Amino acid sequence: MTRVVLTGTGAISACGLGVDALWASVVEGQSGVRAVSFERLENQRVGTAAALSDADKERVAQSVGHRMRDPVAQYALVAAHEAIAQAKLGEDDFGDRCGVVIGSGFGGAKTLDDNYMAFGVDKTMRLDPMAVPKIMNNAAASWVSMDTGASGPLYSPSTACSSGSQSIGLAYQLIKAGAVDRCLAGGAEASLVGGVFRVWELLRVMTADKNRPFSKDRNGMTLGEGAGVVVLESLESAQARGAHILCELVGYATNSDAGDLLRPNPDRAANCMQMALSDAGLDAASVGYVNAHGTGTVANDVTETKALRSVFGEDLDGVAVSSTKPVHGHALGAAGAIEAIVTIKALMHQIAPPTINFNEMDPKIGFDPVSNKARPIQTKAAMSNSLAFGGINASLLFKSFDG
Amino acid sequence: MSTEKTDISQELLELVAREGMVDVSDITPESRLEDLDIQSADFVMILMALEEEYGVYISVDNELSEVQTVQDLLTLAQAKIEEGKKDATA
Repeated sequence: MTRVVLTGTGAISACGLGVDALWASVVEGQSGVRAVSFERLENQRVGTAAALSDADKERVAQSVGHRMRDPVAQYALVAAHEAIAQAKLGEDDFGDRCGVVIGSGFGGAKTLDDNYMAFGVDKTMRLDPMAVPKIMNNAAASWVSMDTGASGPLYSPSTACSSGSQSIGLAYQLIKAGAVDRCLAGGAEASLVGGVFRVWELLRVMTADKNRPFSKDRNGMTLGEGAGVVVLESLESAQARGAHILCELVGYATNSDAGDLLRPNPDRAANCMQMALSDAGLDAASVGYVNAHGTGTVANDVTETKALRSVFGEDLDGVAVSSTKPVHGHALGAAGAIEAIVTIKALMHQIAPPTINFNEMDPKIGFDPVSNKARPIQTKAAMSNSLAFGGINASLLFKSFDG
Repeated sequence: MSTEKTDISQELLELVAREGMVDVSDITPESRLEDLDIQSADFVMILMALEEEYGVYISVDNELSEVQTVQDLLTLAQAKIEEGKKDATA
């Protein structure tokens, strides 16, 4: 049986460039949420998002800016470079035996938004001739492949909020099946643009206040952006090149509700977590930390809690469960990847990052999600969950590497 | 004051009927939204109309998720509109 290990992680988010900035922010509860305003939104109802700072956007543009790259591809490249550097991959480690699986929810949203505005409002026919290759959902993955020379299979799952988790899961399956030796996997999102922001407002799932997952007074999510990319390898290839192993990816499962487009189904989310546990050959009791999807919408958090209770039973109170979205925002297609990296760091440092902005326990939820302050944990296994619109659930299970 | 309140109730009732795509004569404050076949997607339409007409942004919160009857919805909408007015003048 091929074992799959992680040897590199890279992240870019409102917390800054790099995994260290992300981890420091989530542990300390320093939120990257800031005021955002969109030029063409006259009556903006929601005034905050976990957007990259202007300084970081500038640094990204300086390092990987290119007239054929939407910010979404730039974010993916920055995260991939960090992951590759940590894994110490050399030129010979790419090629046909290295795949790229990087998903995105909206793809090149800025290019799409700018060009529709130019076309529909400014009535110009002089649009960006590179709009098509910048907008397409696989552009981020393709740029990472071109940049590194990873010429194995390339996929770009676009499954809304599960894109990042499914990408990592799919890469794990490719390695397990022997199709590749290693994979650059994750998700990227750069959809904080006027048109996209407005339609999120209209869906009424964003809070005009603060994002408070699992808190009784929660009333919606806060959008984010960024990218997370990890290097996954078969244990054999990692050992053959003497790589430092961060942890092992031991279980993955994904399923579909085949039900409602927006309303999540607790039974299916529970089924997904159970399948991931069984894939890993672990029982629920061995999981000591769960990074929840925890969007902070009324419906998600109730559903997810029901699912967690049915998987962990009475033991749920002994499991540290938190949502780090109030810190890095809901980064949609990048969320699963960013949160997988937070989960890996939690496992490596044996610390459960807190759910900040938590005010009061909701009787419909009835547990404390590591509220407001990080907590030490003692565990060898941690889970990261994504529950996406479209009824797509994905669960990843990481384990400390002990040889 | 009481006339104003009645007026807004009637306006809101009409708004709910229009956006929920039900005949206003079929609606009474006691009607259960479920029985009128007003579902989550219709809720979003109702909330959008409230934003357009009264300038209040109402995100889905615990109170809204407990709304069962037309009257529950009207009461909550009125409270949110009042809250919105207060915020605007604050």
